[in-house]
Amino acid sequence: MPGHLFLDYVDPWINWDWLSTHVPVFLAALQEHVTLTLIAVGVGLLISLPMGVVAHRWRALRNPVLTLFGIFYTIPSIALFALLIPYTGLGTLTAEIGLVGYAVLILTRNVVVGLEAVPNDVLDAANGMGYRPLARLVRVELPLALPAIFAGIRIATVTTIGLVTITAVIGLGGLGQLILQGLVENFHTPLVVATLLSIVLALVADLALAGSQRIALPWSRSA
Amino acid sequence: MNWKPRSALLAAVISLSLSAAACGSSPSTSSTTPKGTITVAGFKFSEGSVLAELYGQALQHDGYTVTFKLNLGSREVVGPAIKSSQVDLYIGYAATDLEFYNNSAGEASGDVTATTSKLNSHLQPLNLVALNPSSAVDQNAFAMTKANSTKYNATKLSDLAAIGGQLVLGAGPECPTRPFCQLGLQKTYGINFKSFKALDTDGPLTRAALKNNDIQVGLVFSSDADLSSLGLVTLQDDKHLENADNVVPIVRTPVATAEVKKVLNAVSAGLTTADLVNLNSQVELQHMDPDVVTKAYLQQHNYFG
Repeated sequence: MPGHLFLDYVDPWINWDWLSTHVPVFLAALQEHVTLTLIAVGVGLLISLPMGVVAHRWRALRNPVLTLFGIFYTIPSIALFALLIPYTGLGTLTAEIGLVGYAVLILTRNVVVGLEAVPNDVLDAANGMGYRPLARLVRVELPLALPAIFAGIRIATVTTIGLVTITAVIGLGGLGQLILQGLVENFHTPLVVATLLSIVLALVADLALAGSQRIALPWSRSA
Repeated sequence: MNWKPRSALLAAVISLSLSAAACGSSPSTSSTTPKGTITVAGFKFSEGSVLAELYGQALQHDGYTVTFKLNLGSREVVGPAIKSSQVDLYIGYAATDLEFYNNSAGEASGDVTATTSKLNSHLQPLNLVALNPSSAVDQNAFAMTKANSTKYNATKLSDLAAIGGQLVLGAGPECPTRPFCQLGLQKTYGINFKSFKALDTDGPLTRAALKNNDIQVGLVFSSDADLSSLGLVTLQDDKHLENADNVVPIVRTPVATAEVKKVLNAVSAGLTTADLVNLNSQVELQHMDPDVVTKAYLQQHNYFG
């Protein structure tokens, strides 16, 4: 009988009485979840933009940079946290080192891909108009790479919303903490409600980013 | 071509993320109280939160400002945290903690006093101290369904030696290397299981796997409130593999002042296994909050005078 996760004692999917007295707990968890995600993607972007530009400019660096973060991605989160705790403590910093590291791989890759997709004739035209390398990067290449960068931000955001739950082992985790409580206590309500909130959060974030992309990059609407 | 609005938007997105970062990292602890702040860690199972709240609230009542770090992963997270002063105390279990700090040297025994004093000899160089152990005990226990217990005619762990090859053991992923789990079952009882399935430590996955007969033997804890209602029986530990895992506070030595010791020892002295089962069942079966049930317990037992 595969798929029977829970034993068959009577526990409703949502215990409304319990839920009604625990709304602040869910709101606090949701807020923590959003904060952890925003920091991870924001800081990840700040690191990824220059790193992607460097990896694009100096081709020899591209594979080492992407491989380095690919390897980081394979470190089990519990091992990473256990190594970090003595230095960075049991808090946001430790959690974000993991989350930012995971976001950077996705974002850097998309920055590189976006920059590489800029057509050569556009670059030639920019050179012909007398753009210097930095001005060409900022005013021609990065704007043309923005659709790919935005796609990376969307993927990184949705992925991070899922990944935040792993920081539950160091006492954070946002909604992950409630999912964990549901599993530990064999109690459906926090498990179901926190999972639904996490899905809704990912959908809302993705739609909001898609919306801001449409506003910011009107020329890429067909994408 | 005018890029300014777009780059302005990008800048806005980035600065928004940054200001969120600044908000997220601002500490919210105020330490204006005379007795200072004590950070109490709790393991990520309900009893972990119950014990942390129990001892932590007693300290709070005594005038300390207590910060709770609950639902932390296993000792692999809490160990580094207390060694590096990220937390000041956690409520451990004498034998399990001894075997954690002596790297599974097998020094723990059924004797609580001897186990605690050995634990303290390992804690001292780390600037940690174990206080008086409570009589409340939470031991590893191995459970089978009643049906399988009858089918295999197994009521005690030594019954499994002959039939281990037909049985799958399920427990947390660390079980195969732990002396009080698969390693000990093999050494003390000579049980060689057909295979091991990494599930959770005493959680719903283990219970579901037992129920579905995916595993026949699962690790649970003696203070679990729900075993009989789930139709599970624990096998008698007839060769005393499991040491008395008495509840014991482990504190950073600089924090363990005479007053802190007095408060924590008073809680340990009053707590029994029956109390613990009762608190656990309120949290696990009735879904009451750990801080609420422990507060009621402390009030009923006159800790709040």
